[in-house]
Amino acid sequence: MADLRLVLVTPEKTLFDKPVASIKVPMFDGSAGIYPGRAPLVGRLGVGELTLKGGDGASDSYFIEGGFIQIKGEQVSVLTNAATPAEKISRTAAAEELAAAKAEKATTDDAMEAVANKIDRARKLVKMATAE
Amino acid sequence: MANARLLVKRLKSVRNIRKITRTMELIATSRFKRAMDRATEAAEYTKKISEIVGDLGAADLKFSHPLLEERPETKKSVLLVLTSNRGLCGGYNGAVLRNTLKHIEQLKADEIDFSLEVSGKRGIKFLNFQKIDIDSSYTHFEDSPTFAEVDELGSRYVDDYIAGRIDRLDVAYTSFQTISRQSAVVESILPLSSLSSGSDGESAAGADGTDYEFQPSPQEILEEIVPAAFRAKLFKCFLDAAVSEQIARMVAMKGATENADEMAGDLKQQYNRARQAGITSELAEIIGGAAALE
Repeated sequence: MADLRLVLVTPEKTLFDKPVASIKVPMFDGSAGIYPGRAPLVGRLGVGELTLKGGDGASDSYFIEGGFIQIKGEQVSVLTNAATPAEKISRTAAAEELAAAKAEKATTDDAMEAVANKIDRARKLVKMATAE
Repeated sequence: MANARLLVKRLKSVRNIRKITRTMELIATSRFKRAMDRATEAAEYTKKISEIVGDLGAADLKFSHPLLEERPETKKSVLLVLTSNRGLCGGYNGAVLRNTLKHIEQLKADEIDFSLEVSGKRGIKFLNFQKIDIDSSYTHFEDSPTFAEVDELGSRYVDDYIAGRIDRLDVAYTSFQTISRQSAVVESILPLSSLSSGSDGESAAGADGTDYEFQPSPQEILEEIVPAAFRAKLFKCFLDAAVSEQIARMVAMKGATENADEMAGDLKQQYNRARQAGITSELAEIIGGAAALE
């Protein structure tokens, strides 16, 4: 079986550059799984959880905020504006963000969409949050 | 002998200053290394972006995006000036501000309405002194600007540009070429002239004939990647400025330390001469006095 190598880059630094067994990424329209030997792909990412499984079965997850994915042979590059490791997401901060998003009132269509996006993002954060 | 005491005093103060400049040089060196590391890390992102752009190019797609289009007439432009918060960094701020003034003259001559945004206390002070109105100023970008901070500005520019509120964005900053070479430039980054950050050859690197699947479609990915490329470019300007500032300070402080060394040497020599002259004249007086008694 061919290997898979995940490179996770943000504008500030390269967070992750290691071989992995499989990856689950949040695409713009839902999550997608990637196993070795996938066809080349360039895609847009959404907001959500990126999970990777190492060769030894250990899994790791990051909260990523949009960006792009490029799959080329065994190399998977994920470009994102910001990525936070799951263990660093604070439960209280996430809950606060959700409450704030819910409290916001929208009057136009654009604002409605923006608020819906915010609520969605906050819900995903709350779901992933593990730290206090 | 009074002269010698004065020299000792001066020598002491020169030595004290030397200690300070030497420390500042060391601090700038370590900060420079940190800033440099950040810049290298950021380069990875821009490289990947241009790789994807190259891939998109292979999908024979018309590159059209509001951010790429040049407006036929420039009515309103924004000039962003990046200077440092702290001084003692040689000609770093001076060079940027000189360019800024020249650019403002040019804008005025072309009768283009512009708003001026300045980052860094040095630039704000200078432009206030020149009685040039600043529309907004920032002092929170220290020597390691974060992407989130820069992105705040970037998103605003993107929105303004697409809405037609601005037609051009110029950035006056110090671009980093190599460790021994940085130059103050005024660069137009909106409209985006090219998507690849480096040379044009680089963007072609991604297109090596791999047959990609695009999700959702090449056009939609392009719509997302153009703003991302712009933000990365703006971020690079800030990082370049931060790296260049540290280099400028390092060089300036190195020069100052060397000058202090030289001055301390001169003063020491002068002091020794004055001391010797004092001893000689005292001896001459004693001998003269003894000769007079005989």
